Amino acid sequence: MSSTQSITPGSAAEATRPQRSFAVRLLMSEYLVLVLTAIYFLVMWALVPSIATADTLLDILAAMMPLLVVAIGQTFVLIVAGIDLAAPSILAAASVAGASMMTGEGGFALFTGVPIGVGILAFVGVGLLIGLLNGVCVTRLGMPPFIVTLTTMMFFSGFALFYTSALTDDGSSFGDLPSAFVAIGQGTWHGVPYSLALAGAVMLVAHLTLSRTVFGSWLYAIGRNPRAAAISGVPVRRAVLWAFVISGLCGGIASIIYTGRLETGTPVLGQRILLDIVGSAVIGGVSLFGGKGRVTWTLYGVLFLSVVDKGLQLLGLDLASVFAIKGLVILSAAVLDAVRHRLTLRG
Amino acid sequence: MSAVSAGGGNRSTTLFVLRNAPVLLFIVLLACFGLMSDRFLTVTNFVNIVIQAAHIGIIAIGMTFVLLIGGIDLSIGANMYIVAAVLGLFLKDLPLAISFPLVTLIGLAFGAVNAWFITRLRVAAFITTLSTLFIGRGIALYFSGNKMVGFSPEVLALGRASYFGVPSAIWGFAIVFIAAYVTLSQTTFGRQIYAVGADPDAAGKAGIDVRRIVFSVYCIAGVCAAIGGLISLSQVAVASSTFGFQKEFPVIAATVLGGTSLFGGRGGVLGTVFGAVLIQTVENGLVMTNADPYLYPLVISIIIFIAVFIDSSRNSILERLERRQIRVERV
Repeated sequence: MSSTQSITPGSAAEATRPQRSFAVRLLMSEYLVLVLTAIYFLVMWALVPSIATADTLLDILAAMMPLLVVAIGQTFVLIVAGIDLAAPSILAAASVAGASMMTGEGGFALFTGVPIGVGILAFVGVGLLIGLLNGVCVTRLGMPPFIVTLTTMMFFSGFALFYTSALTDDGSSFGDLPSAFVAIGQGTWHGVPYSLALAGAVMLVAHLTLSRTVFGSWLYAIGRNPRAAAISGVPVRRAVLWAFVISGLCGGIASIIYTGRLETGTPVLGQRILLDIVGSAVIGGVSLFGGKGRVTWTLYGVLFLSVVDKGLQLLGLDLASVFAIKGLVILSAAVLDAVRHRLTLRG
Repeated sequence: MSAVSAGGGNRSTTLFVLRNAPVLLFIVLLACFGLMSDRFLTVTNFVNIVIQAAHIGIIAIGMTFVLLIGGIDLSIGANMYIVAAVLGLFLKDLPLAISFPLVTLIGLAFGAVNAWFITRLRVAAFITTLSTLFIGRGIALYFSGNKMVGFSPEVLALGRASYFGVPSAIWGFAIVFIAAYVTLSQTTFGRQIYAVGADPDAAGKAGIDVRRIVFSVYCIAGVCAAIGGLISLSQVAVASSTFGFQKEFPVIAATVLGGTSLFGGRGGVLGTVFGAVLIQTVENGLVMTNADPYLYPLVISIIIFIAVFIDSSRNSILERLERRQIRVERV
């Protein structure tokens, strides 16, 4: 648990305790992941100096934006002790739905004159709808989030493939997207990518929602103890429903950035990043058991994973090593977190 | 018939339907596919379904143990691939009587590594097995060089063999099932698993070595993943670099479909076998009725969803219905 959140009432005991060593204080810091990222970066700098060029750094930043947005959505669900395994399928379904509206090869919304507007609405709408469906199943039908989102993940990944195969000539993707839309994923303004601004805005709103609003404190209360929250008058069902809707919305927005970067709407978008999404939030310190998490922590986790990925890519390692090292890195972060947790318990 | 007794009749019908919902769903599916294809409702086809369901079923039996204590194992697909890679690359020339037990030990070791991190270092099971999924697949890809792995002719012959008229995959499935069923229902260890799953603190206070139980279930899941991997690879002849990839999803789905709770303490392996066969039946039925392959995941996910929905709403509805029966009826 972070030092800021674990201020215990026993401040007298705090005073008498001997000063902790620097190592322990570092280990307990909420910035530990950032420190680890920096260490990893320095090691990589020695091995492949090209990692520290402005181009590479900007590339890392631009590439991590969609993951950041979808991981922020996941953070909301994790805080209420849920999980949203459907996130990758939201990316995929939104991508093909949105792209099918505005593709130059007979997009559904071309006749309206504002295909990009309709397309973006489709991205966001699909995200909201899948999030709403997940939320309703969890809160109204009383099904476990893991299973609900597992089945919606299977369904909407399958649906995205089916939709694409039925509507495209080659059956694999929607190309020929308007250049103004592609710019959302690729364009820059005085060197600053648009995607960075969009993700930054999402992050800011999410951060304020969690830390400054009543809704945010409801989410933490539900995550810590849903029964106690309900007794204290928190509308548990409504708040959990919204957490899933927010996760869906973030998936839709992330899909806009991804689809713009790739210039195609594809049903395999995000197929393999489920573990990155949950993994980056958890590495940042968001608890899988609810009640604990922050948008900034998720940012640190995403930054960490993205830098690790880029470093491995620059080293020119094969798939086998990338898999193994990535796994080891996630595991070490989790072990560190477990050690931290025990140190906290010991006080 | 009076209004009251008609109401009672309806209630007992509802109760019957709810209690046997998964079985009824299965019968409805059988009837639908049977009407749509005359090749579906045959003994040969049903044997095929069970053969195809065997590997998922065996791994799901291991998963049942893990879910019963409230844990989860996402790494079984990587475990399967390591087993395939080691068997095909390093143990090709050994007789099966030696190589099969050896790779099963590898599965056990994989499970033990998961268990060590979870019980000793107290890392969450989700994250531990997520990491070992990557590490395990990475190691196996390093062995295989990202290429197809082939197996000795004996392995393939075993996959096609029958003993006493029963195909080898069904033998494997049946032996694992009986062993797991007896363990869970007849032994102290089995009862302790349920106790730990229902309430680990209470189980600990009652003198159960909770860590030992948790450690063992991950080892069991590892062994089951290895055996399931062996059965699967004996059927497919070569293992590509995606062998076992994302197998955790159908395995968990089969287990949950069989009525095992993700929160621990409730469920059993009989239901799991049923869940695995049910999923395979749907897939087989879709093939038999010449459905668009893109529709498979849609139909399968809807059926899993319905089954889980019935299961999760069943308990509360049953409770309500049974409570009403004790009340004095107002006529």
